[in-house]
Amino acid sequence: MTLKRFISTSILRATISILVLSASMPAQAQKFFSFQKDSVPMFRGFAVSFDLVGAGLMAFSDNGQYEGALRINLHDEWFPIIEAGLGRANHDDDVTRIHYSTSAPYFRIGIDKNLLKDKHGANRLYGGLRYAFTSYNVDISRPDFPDPVWLWDTGYGVNNASCNYHWIEAVVGVDAQIYGPVHLGWSLRYKRRISHKEEGEFGNTWYVPGFGIFGDTRLGGTFNVIIDI
Amino acid sequence: MIKRLIYLSLVALVVGCSSVDCPVDSTVATLYQIRNSDGTELVITDTMTISTFRADDEGIILYNGRDSIIYNKGVGINQFTLPISYSHPEDVLMFQFGIANTDSVVNDTVWIKKDDYPHFESVDCNTTYFHKLTNVRFTRNYIDSIVINNPSVTYDSQTVHFYLYPKSND
Repeated sequence: MTLKRFISTSILRATISILVLSASMPAQAQKFFSFQKDSVPMFRGFAVSFDLVGAGLMAFSDNGQYEGALRINLHDEWFPIIEAGLGRANHDDDVTRIHYSTSAPYFRIGIDKNLLKDKHGANRLYGGLRYAFTSYNVDISRPDFPDPVWLWDTGYGVNNASCNYHWIEAVVGVDAQIYGPVHLGWSLRYKRRISHKEEGEFGNTWYVPGFGIFGDTRLGGTFNVIIDI
Repeated sequence: MIKRLIYLSLVALVVGCSSVDCPVDSTVATLYQIRNSDGTELVITDTMTISTFRADDEGIILYNGRDSIIYNKGVGINQFTLPISYSHPEDVLMFQFGIANTDSVVNDTVWIKKDDYPHFESVDCNTTYFHKLTNVRFTRNYIDSIVINNPSVTYDSQTVHFYLYPKSND
């Protein structure tokens, strides 16, 4: 089974499972997934946001990302969201002398739920899920070094290897209105890799655009400037 | 307010922590097992020394003897581990068998062809190579045959890569 087919099958299964679950769930859970009944219209507009943490990392370290998001406001309760960014790493390790570079876009799609009782207030507390994907190329190299036994000079390099990465994120975040349409907010994210592929099976990749450094930590965060439109 | 700050600091600490996950056993080597012709393990009583070609400081390729011994005077063994070159299409090994209770020495040469693949764990971990064994040739003085059992040479140090069958009358 190809990776693409596997993923689409997995998404289809997950969708069917959620539908079956929501049909058979108790009344309290059904209430969680439904909208509050009041006079506020269902569609409440869009919001765009930009992450400052990733941009700060990009500016002050050798890896980071520029990331923006478009969020739809449904009754101040449910917020389908698309996040897209450009992740980049250009790292030279002083100890191992390995050079690692990659640069690629990434995408996330998901939904947030406003967990506050007062849904229509100025501030929000979110809980949500994301499915994320990136396809990227990596270059890994180091200067020639002698083979420890044979002493021949040995080169080491992975050139433009094509990789892809799929992961999911659980999100908790807050969003506070600052002035007019301008909000500030942050989110904490727990990330789990669900599948990956590296051309030539050279091992693991280190920095994955949008995911960050693999194996470092499963937690991540964003600090967002959000504008309602 | 203070409590909130503490919780936030804790979260920032957790997010900020990093770890280095390099493999503990990062040796890539080949494992040989000595066998009888019927497939059972064999302990050889002769003394085995293995050397190889390598380069000196001027890059000249030298033959045996100039500190190129990679396995020295093994006796009473039924398996042994040898290094494999990082990125060279063929390794040449000289096996020297000192026959027990005699002064006689029997030599064999073994050529191991392989494909080499750079292996990467993290920028924090040392570079290494994995290999795929593609062919083995050998002279037949002491050795009857060498068979590739597992062509994949990785961090796995338990799986036997080669079966070495000595001649039964030696």
